[in-house]
Amino acid sequence: MLEFETKYFGKVPYAPGSVIEFPLGLPGFEHEHRFVLIEQSINKPIVFLQSLSQPELCFPTAPVSQLCPNYELTLSAEDLFALGCHEQPVVGQDTLLLAIVSLAPDGPATANLLSPVVIHWRTRLAVQAIQADSPYSHQHPLLAPAPVAPCL
Amino acid sequence: MLVIRRRAGQSVLIGDNVEIEVIEVSPGRVKLGITAPREVLVLRKEINLTREQNLIAARGVSPSAVLKLMERMRPDPPA
Repeated sequence: MLEFETKYFGKVPYAPGSVIEFPLGLPGFEHEHRFVLIEQSINKPIVFLQSLSQPELCFPTAPVSQLCPNYELTLSAEDLFALGCHEQPVVGQDTLLLAIVSLAPDGPATANLLSPVVIHWRTRLAVQAIQADSPYSHQHPLLAPAPVAPCL
Repeated sequence: MLVIRRRAGQSVLIGDNVEIEVIEVSPGRVKLGITAPREVLVLRKEINLTREQNLIAARGVSPSAVLKLMERMRPDPPA
């Protein structure tokens, strides 16, 4: 079993077949093409998208289905091509949608629903598909306003 | 911000080399044609927002902050 260095979990074993390839990279990280998903029951619902080549690059993400059950995805011709698809994929069936989570130290946690990461299970290819004509926010609040803050 | 009214077929010039033409106006959206030199980067703003958001998300977050978030996102917090 191969191993790779991760940001939060030290050295983690991975199977070559579990690598996800982003042919176009991600905006801001155009040269990062290979990632592995780190999903552990203890971390639910967060799924980590860890770069294979840069241990320091690890995006916390959350399944879009959990944040927005009726999410409507439309892929551009360019994104379809990058995913190796000829038609719009069926969300939840051949694709997994993840929203990248931002944890600003001084602000609320938000998820980027404007640009979900679309992973195609069969081809193991992925894109960050910007939904330019959609109403979705790039800073969707992840948590409802906190109830009563616990006293520590 | 400079605000200009234009109709379909009319243009706006920016500097010597950039022209933005309104090609079509329909309810809720407009189609623009942009003529610019190759070295001028033309982007939909959503791409920039996504880039900025990715950079924020990739910035070092302490493992404890991630843990805290996961605890709060769990559907059934322990009583």
